[in-house]
Amino acid sequence: MTTENADTDDWVRRLSSSGPERDDAIAELTQLLVRGLSRSMANRYGNLVQPEDVVQDALLKILDSLETFAGRSRFTTWAMTIATRVAISEMRRKRYQDVSLDSITSDDNLSLDIATDPSTPGETQIDRANVLSTLQELIQTELSAKQREAIQALLGGLPVEEIARRTGSNRNAVYKLIHDARVRLKSGLERAGVIAEDFNAIFA
Amino acid sequence: MSISKKQISNLLGLIASTENDATDCEGCFSHLAEFAELELAGREIPEAFQAIQRHLEQCPCCKDEFDVLIEGLKALPPEDE
Ligand SMILES: [Zn+2]
Repeated sequence: MTTENADTDDWVRRLSSSGPERDDAIAELTQLLVRGLSRSMANRYGNLVQPEDVVQDALLKILDSLETFAGRSRFTTWAMTIATRVAISEMRRKRYQDVSLDSITSDDNLSLDIATDPSTPGETQIDRANVLSTLQELIQTELSAKQREAIQALLGGLPVEEIARRTGSNRNAVYKLIHDARVRLKSGLERAGVIAEDFNAIFA
Repeated sequence: MSISKKQISNLLGLIASTENDATDCEGCFSHLAEFAELELAGREIPEAFQAIQRHLEQCPCCKDEFDVLIEGLKALPPEDE
């Protein structure tokens, strides 16, 4: 057995034990997670969430799912993965708590008008207008109302997880709903002769 | 609603980056720890993890979590050994 495996087994054993040994392991893990999150979350999101607060929730999840830990990674990596997800989920909840879905998706029309930029060469402007009108058409004909709403919410800045929270759905389902919409729009554009590689040239 | 030029370019970016995705957020999450260790070790991504890679390229939620995870792991002591 490698040292790494031994270490991982030791974490699981200590956390599954009782008494002071378990308490020590929990304290040690708490310290590690706080240390990791203090760096990673503060760097990106400032002090929107306090690592000490989210680590308590994360620990509950970790202890609850100890049995599902399959040992395919180090234990501490696995624990950090859970803690990171809990922390970001809480960060998103706080950051978007005042944003309602209605304020972003107030009507069912996703209108793709963009102001004409006089510095853009005429030819590119025509290409642009063509792509946009094709896209507009596809959005209306190929997407379901739910897909249009989800795309609007996404473009309005709401992360998938927050869209799910507001629509009583779950993240997986919303991701799939949006992914399916993306696939439909992409193949629709391709049928119309617009390939993804052209986007950058036209909209640079 | 009318959307801005930036949102249109975001939408086109989303469409352009769309590929088949054999997994989803949960599937990605269940292998994220191993994937992060590969990334940190600078190893080549084995075939079995290509699906995770593709999901991360298409899912901003999971990608954000992955990036933060990598930063957090870098902050941990290199013990465990
Ligand atoms: Zn995802």
